[in-house]
Amino acid sequence: MKLLVKTSLYYLFFSIPILLIAGFVCYYVITSEVKDSNNTLLTNRKIVVEKYLKDSDTVALNLITKSGEAQIFKISKPILEKKSYLFFLDTLILDTKENELAPNRMLSTIVKVRNVNYNIKIWRSTLEYDELFEGIFFLLVLILFFLFLTFLTINFWISKNLWKSFNNTLFALKSFEVSENKIPILEKTSIIEFSALNNSISEMMKKMISDYSSQKKFTENASHEIQTPLAVIKSKIDLLFQSQNLKENEINLIIAIDDACSKLSRLNKSLLLLTKIENRQFNDYELVSFEKTLKNALFFFEDNIESNHLKIKINCEQDFCVQMNPDLCLVLVNNLIQNAIRYNVENGEIEVFITKNKIMVSNSSKNEVIEPVLFERFQKNSSFNQSLGLGLSIIKEIIQVSGLRLDYKYSIDFHQFTISFKTKG
Amino acid sequence: MKILLIEDEIELQKSIKTYLEIEGNVIEVAADFLEAQYKIEVYDYDCVLVDITLPKGSGLALIEEIKSKRNKTGIIIISAKNSLDDKILGLDIGADDYLPKPFHLSELNSRIKAVIRRKNFDGNTEIELNEIKILPNERRVFVENSELFLTAKEYDLLLYFVANKNRVVSKSALAEHLWGDDSDRLDNFDFIYNHVKNLRKKLLEKNCLDYLQTIYGIGYNFKTNE
Repeated sequence: MKLLVKTSLYYLFFSIPILLIAGFVCYYVITSEVKDSNNTLLTNRKIVVEKYLKDSDTVALNLITKSGEAQIFKISKPILEKKSYLFFLDTLILDTKENELAPNRMLSTIVKVRNVNYNIKIWRSTLEYDELFEGIFFLLVLILFFLFLTFLTINFWISKNLWKSFNNTLFALKSFEVSENKIPILEKTSIIEFSALNNSISEMMKKMISDYSSQKKFTENASHEIQTPLAVIKSKIDLLFQSQNLKENEINLIIAIDDACSKLSRLNKSLLLLTKIENRQFNDYELVSFEKTLKNALFFFEDNIESNHLKIKINCEQDFCVQMNPDLCLVLVNNLIQNAIRYNVENGEIEVFITKNKIMVSNSSKNEVIEPVLFERFQKNSSFNQSLGLGLSIIKEIIQVSGLRLDYKYSIDFHQFTISFKTKG
Repeated sequence: MKILLIEDEIELQKSIKTYLEIEGNVIEVAADFLEAQYKIEVYDYDCVLVDITLPKGSGLALIEEIKSKRNKTGIIIISAKNSLDDKILGLDIGADDYLPKPFHLSELNSRIKAVIRRKNFDGNTEIELNEIKILPNERRVFVENSELFLTAKEYDLLLYFVANKNRVVSKSALAEHLWGDDSDRLDNFDFIYNHVKNLRKKLLEKNCLDYLQTIYGIGYNFKTNE
């Protein structure tokens, strides 16, 4: 949900109770004002009627009673002298014109004129309170509706103008690539918050780029520095091999050194590769055919497959083509096939199934199911000494940077890796 | 053959010198840019081995100097930086080959021979070793003028053995030569044995002398002299 939509909703949400309270206040103010004015009017009329009674002006009294808004009775019951007998009440009186009961305000009092007690009732039609209620409610809904419209237009305007610099910054951030070594120029803005944001983002990007390049330099230098002593060791081993009359135990020692040396060399190479992938240094993309890459890989491992007596089954329905770095694709397929060979059994099987949107490599193996932890660096299955524990993490890393998806399934002595397109979302 | 080795790591320099001298090559060494520059100016070499990162200058600049002075000199870059950019740049300005560190001395030797062959015998690049004759351009082999048919891997093996004759070549060096940089993926090199066995069988069938000796645990030696 957009920030502005959310704030408008909050505004609306909080304006509802305020409007409700305002509505009730309105209702009470209006009704009490109406009552007050009616009461005053009725009191005035009562004074007039009293005067007529005192003057015995029967004509005027008749006129008043005939108007249908007053009644005057003589009552015989004596009343207490001192206590005034006067009260107001709301009552329903039949409206003869509309023939329905209508709300009226009534004054009822007893007056004593020349020792005769008169009961005077004067009334006046008043507001219909339920109609007033409805009216106010209708008004409130109308106000709410207009408030909503106003919020919408204001928000539209705000997002177009005030948030423009924010959106520009966001756009610049999205296109920012640390390996490109270029800091996007963020537009200047007069809004303090956004300009502070832009400043810290620029600082952060500068820091990222410098960190990135120093890290890159470090890995390059480290690998360079390690390669040279490795080259020395390797050359000395080669020279040792040339010497005549080596004893068997000496040969074994040299072979052990040689093995460790090549393992170190592989380790260095793999770590460098991982760092390069992580640093997104493989950014030449092209449409790569997995079928072709697979054929290259199988050709490379031909002897290995033969000497392990493995059966290869390839079922290519349609080529799986992906926009990615071709070198990484080769590393990926090589790693998959290498694993499929390495962890296979004698006379085992490797099955490859390629369709338009996936490649599936399965192999027989006596190994247990691969735990997710084996996809982390330097986690390895202890049964295989040659393993560096980097193969699966390289696969994982390549999958990640290439926007692909890797699924792993295990069923009774069969491991299956599936590479497919990452579904969006 | 006269070879100039430009390498600042003294121990590696010594190893390469020792290995290449076995065959009677003359090896001159230079440990930094200025020394190398001086030697390039004063002497002519059949082949120059250059490390790119050198004290007091870049090996790439040296390559340009060698090229401008004597075009026939073979140039091989030996670099610890196995970066594609460096490789492309180096080959672009005139290097003949690029060998990333660490490498096997036998590999370096075979590359040197290949480069010199390409440079010095325009067209005529025949290799003759007693009764064996190899035509590298056509990838054909003759024993006593009768053609020997080899698979691609057997041919590569033979060429490699001949280049490193009378020296012990390790199995991992053979694997690296045949399968390239990625050979370390192959886990074991036992199948090399099959290729060597087949090559040897084919040579013997043509009444070749039995040159190939198996060295216990290490690899092979293609022995042509006593």
